[in-house]
Parts: sequence; structure tokens; C-alpha cells
Amino acid sequence: MIAHVRAMKPQELAAAAFRLREIGIVLALFAVIVFFSFRADNFLQASNWQDIAQNVSIVIVVAVGETMVVLTRNIDLSVGSIVGLCAYLVAASLAHHPGMPIVFAALISVAAGLGLGLVNGLLVAVGRIPAIIATLATLAIYRGIDAEITGGKNITAYQLPDRFLSLAASKPLGFPALAWIAVAVAVVGAATLRFVPWARDFYAIGSNPDAARFAGIPAGRRIITAFALSGALAGLGGFLFASRFPTLDSAAANGFELTVITAVVIGGVNVFGGSGTILGVVLGAVLVATISDGFTLMRLDEFWKIFFNGFAIVAAVTIDALVTRRLQEALRRRRAALLVAQPARSEA
Amino acid sequence: MKELAGRVLVRWETLLVAAIVAVGIWSVTLSPFFLRRANLLDLVTPYVYIGLMAFGLTFVVIAGEIDISVASILAASIVSFAQIFAHGVSVWPAALIGLAIAGGLGLVNGLLVGVLNLPSLAVTLGTMAAYSGLAFVILSGEGVATFPTSFTKYGGGYLANNELPIALLVMLGFALGLGILLHRTRFGRYVYTIGSNREAARLSGIPVTRVRVTVFVISGLMAGIAGLVYVGYFGSARADAAQLSLLDIVTAVVLGGVGIFGGTGSMPGVLLALILVAEVRNGMQLANLSGQLQNIVIGVLLLAAIVVGNLIAAARTGSRPAKLRRLRKGVTASAPAEAKVLVDSNP
Repeated sequence: MIAHVRAMKPQELAAAAFRLREIGIVLALFAVIVFFSFRADNFLQASNWQDIAQNVSIVIVVAVGETMVVLTRNIDLSVGSIVGLCAYLVAASLAHHPGMPIVFAALISVAAGLGLGLVNGLLVAVGRIPAIIATLATLAIYRGIDAEITGGKNITAYQLPDRFLSLAASKPLGFPALAWIAVAVAVVGAATLRFVPWARDFYAIGSNPDAARFAGIPAGRRIITAFALSGALAGLGGFLFASRFPTLDSAAANGFELTVITAVVIGGVNVFGGSGTILGVVLGAVLVATISDGFTLMRLDEFWKIFFNGFAIVAAVTIDALVTRRLQEALRRRRAALLVAQPARSEA
Repeated sequence: MKELAGRVLVRWETLLVAAIVAVGIWSVTLSPFFLRRANLLDLVTPYVYIGLMAFGLTFVVIAGEIDISVASILAASIVSFAQIFAHGVSVWPAALIGLAIAGGLGLVNGLLVGVLNLPSLAVTLGTMAAYSGLAFVILSGEGVATFPTSFTKYGGGYLANNELPIALLVMLGFALGLGILLHRTRFGRYVYTIGSNREAARLSGIPVTRVRVTVFVISGLMAGIAGLVYVGYFGSARADAAQLSLLDIVTAVVLGGVGIFGGTGSMPGVLLALILVAEVRNGMQLANLSGQLQNIVIGVLLLAAIVVGNLIAAARTGSRPAKLRRLRKGVTASAPAEAKVLVDSNP
């Protein structure tokens, strides 16, 4: 094994580390499923899997956007508030204009999310406010706007058109509609991060902001793009949230950012930016949603989920740091060995 | 002389005092009772626990880190205290155990950040959730509200003809003590040095790891003390206590002029900012604004504080044209701040 590692190129070594992470999540997922199938009633029933699929879909959609932000060495804490605000906007528009096409309601939600995300991006890139502080403030501000719009009232499923309510339950090709949307977002997101030049810049900025700037990457514009995408996808998540949970008040999706960030961090996106894959994030979201569902079936209180999410973030970050350190050490040792082998070239 | 006047004028603390006076004038137009001595003295009482947490957080932020778990530490600490008290331990020993638990939770943060060199943002985001979950596990549902007045007076009691809140004295005492620790001791100077340049601090022989762990312990302990005042003021301990106070705590620290990238800031500034936040919230209550609308205003205040701080810094360094050019290009943070982040990520 060690000899094998020594023979690998640095890129291969890094890729192997990622594959290891993804295999690790799959194994954890397997263990969790075995555990809950014994301990939680009805866990293995088809209807429960559909519940999980619908819940995880919303997490994936928002987590893809969050991933873009975290890759640039930033964070977006406001996604829970954006989801809640946009979900209410969707429900309110459909309740007041029952004839409105559903696609139009979705567009409103995405556009609103895009605008809110753009504000985050401008605050961070132009206002030079650290992302943690800027989005902590907008978390409170967007939630406050949500509360002002709702005015303490709520919208119930009865006020919404049936076409909209049947969306979450519909199953084109035997697969929940929400899951199709999530798969589409994940595939497009992964392809964008893999092949599109401006999205590749996210990795460069997160790895080394100064080097990225010296290389001529317009870092500010890219960071604004990442936040805007995160907002837009949180807007789409809000639309899905409204279709899945059609009774909405100003507390909708409160604390949802924690679930999203847990999925992103468990999924192997480095909190210092620069590395991470959508596949890992999708697996992380599935793991988080499965555990959350199992807790519900075991009738554990909501706060056990919160505790688990928090614990998982700390554990994932700790493991990441230890693995990264090992990897860097291995690379450094190899470089040192190369220098010893070719002393003349190192002095030149 | 003119230069001295200029320096006093652009001092952040001077701006805060001016803002406090301005908001005071606004408050007087809202209610003629605002200027009564009893009201002025009582203005800050409901926010003393926020101030105590802000004082602790100040050390962490000046050291170049962040601790967003403080409100959860408060909750976990007071429910432990309440459970121990409810099981028959007398109030002061129980309070002491609660305080020790708060320090212990802070120590966990400190070890993860200081010894394992993990990013404080991710660590305390995780422990914020974990500690909050823990608080509910310890005391779910109902709260404990049977504390004796000999204890609760430190949060909600009054002296001097029922006009002087004891909590105010507690807060001023801690502001003074922690101010001396920060501004007049070797430890305080270490905190600033580490926040300005951790690598340089390490090379000059400062026990970096120990100091970084200690600032998180201070932050945890202050959350514990804030919890005791909280229990005294509200008369009850619940697991959802202080859940929404993080925004106000961070606002008090940042508005107080503590540089978010570490290395700068002062305890008097944070104290003034806390008074300002309390005054603004009080004024908005007089003006009958809803709690959520108040949060919007506080959030904007937080953002504005940083933007104004950035502009003042740009004006001071005198490199405004260059700064503006870079702004137009959309470049993010100022160069020294990012250089520091780079050091952080590659220890």
C-alpha cells in the first residue's frame, strides 16, 4: 500500500484521497441503513424511502450552491433564511394568483434568491466584510423581512392550487419529481465545476487567493458569482420546500443552513476552500438526510438531530485536517527525496 | 494641536459616543421619560448578559479567531446549573459547577482550534449546534425557575433606592477587570500579537498554542458568567435561552471597533458599542417596532460598522485611489488581511 502510494503522482494522490472520502461516506451510509433497519420501525418501507428522497433533494439543491461559496474560502449562513423567504413568496404568489403557471412561481423564487445572494456577494466582495459576519447579518435581515411579509400569519395547503400540491407527490418515471430536479442540479453543478472556466476559478481562489489574483483571475467578480448562485439555488430550494411543506409561516426552514453546511462539510468540501466535489456533497446530503429520517422514526427529539449535525461538522473537519496534513507531509517528503536525488538541479 | 483634535475625532470610540448621544436625542423625542435617571441606569440591564459574552468574544476575535458557540455555551451551562440545583445542591455550589462546565466547553473549542489547528469558524459552528443540542438533552421542555433571590439579585436586583441595577455593576466590574487583562498585562499583549501575525508571534517565543486555547476558555467562562446573570434577570433557566443573542453579541464586538481579522480593538470600545446596541433596541421598542424589524436594523448596523471601518482605514492609509481602483475591479479584502488568512491555512 505504502509503496503504491509512493509511486503515485501528486494529482493521483489527491484524487485517491477524494475517492477514499466518497467510499467512506458510502460505507457509513451502509452502516447507518443496517442500524436503522433493525432499530427504527418502517425504515425499509418504500414510502419512507420516498420521504428521504424528497427531503434529501431539497438539501442537495441548496448544498450545490453552498459548495460553490465554500470552494472560494467563504461561507453562506443565510441560505436557511433565503429558503424560508422564497418558500413563502412562492406560496403567497400562488395563493393570491391561483391561475399563475407553476414555472412562473419557480422563476420568481429563483430570481428572489438570486437577488438576495447577490447582496451577500456584494457585501463580501465589494464591502470587504468577512463572509461569516456578512451572512450572519443577512441571515437575521432576510428572516426579518420574511417575518414582516408574513406579518405573523401563515399560508396553509388549502389556499394553494392542487397542481402545485401534486408536484412533490408526482413520480415521473417512478422517481419523485423533487429527486429529478435535484439530480439535474447536481449534474449541471458538477459539470460546471469540472469544465467551465469561471467555475474552475472558484478552486483557484479558494486554494490561494493571492496567487489567483496574480494569475489575473477577477476574484471579486467570481466570489459575487458564487454567492449569487448559492442564493439562486436556495431560491429554487425554497420553491421545492413550499411544494413539500405547503403550510408556511415566518419560521419555515429555520436552521436549514446547518443541515446544508453539514452535508457540504461531511461531503469533503474543505472549509478552507479549494477542494471538494459535488458527488461527495450529494453523498453527504444523503447520509445526513437518512440519519435525520432514522432519528424521526426512532422518535428521538429534534435536538438530537441538531446535536448530531454539530458533532458531524466537528468530526468531519477534524478528520479532514488530519488527512490533509498526512497528504502534505507525504508530498513534502517525496519532494525532499527528489531534491536529495538531484542536488545539482535543486541548487540551480 | 489641530492634529491631536483630528486624531480624537477619527477615533472609533469618539464616533460611538457621538452615536450614543444621537440615538439618545432620538429616544427623547420618542418618550420624555427616557432621560429620567432610573431609566438611564436601567437601559443596559436586559443586555448585560450579551455584554458579558461580547467581552469574552473580544479576546477571541482580537486573537484572530471567532467563537459563534457562546450563546449555546450559555444555554448548556445554565441548564446544567439548573438541573444540579433542582436535585438539591445549594445554589452557589451549583452555579460554580455550571461555570466550570462553561469553561470546559470553551476548553473543547480551544483545544480543537489551538492544538489541532482547526478553523475556528467551522469548529464553533459545529459546537454551536452540538452544545445547543446538549442543552436540550440535559433539560428538555420545561425550565427551572425556583432560584432564591439571594442569587437572582445579581441579575435582576437593585441597590440605592431601587435605582441602581446590580447587574450593571457586575458588567462594569468585568469590563474593568477584562480591560486590564487585555490592555495592561503580558497575556493581553500576546493576544494582540498573535492576532496581528501568528507566525511572527511564534517565532518571537510567545506560547501561541497556550494563549489561543486560553482565549477560548475565557470566552466560555464569560458565557457561563453571562448565564448566571441571565438566570438572575429572567428568573429561569431554559435550554433555548439566549438562542437569538448571537447577532447582538457579534454586533457589539464588531461595532466596538474590534478588527475582524484580529490584532486590533479595545474593551472600552466594546462596552460603548454594547450601550449603543441597548439604546438602539430600547429606542426601537419605544417606537413600537417588532422584534424582527429590530433584528433587521441591528443586522444593518453590523454591516455598516464594518463598511465604515473599512472606509476609515482606507482614508487613514491614504491609499484611497488605489483602494477604489481595486474596489472597482471587485477585489475582496485588503492585502494584509488575506496574507494572514494564508498563514492560517498553512501552519
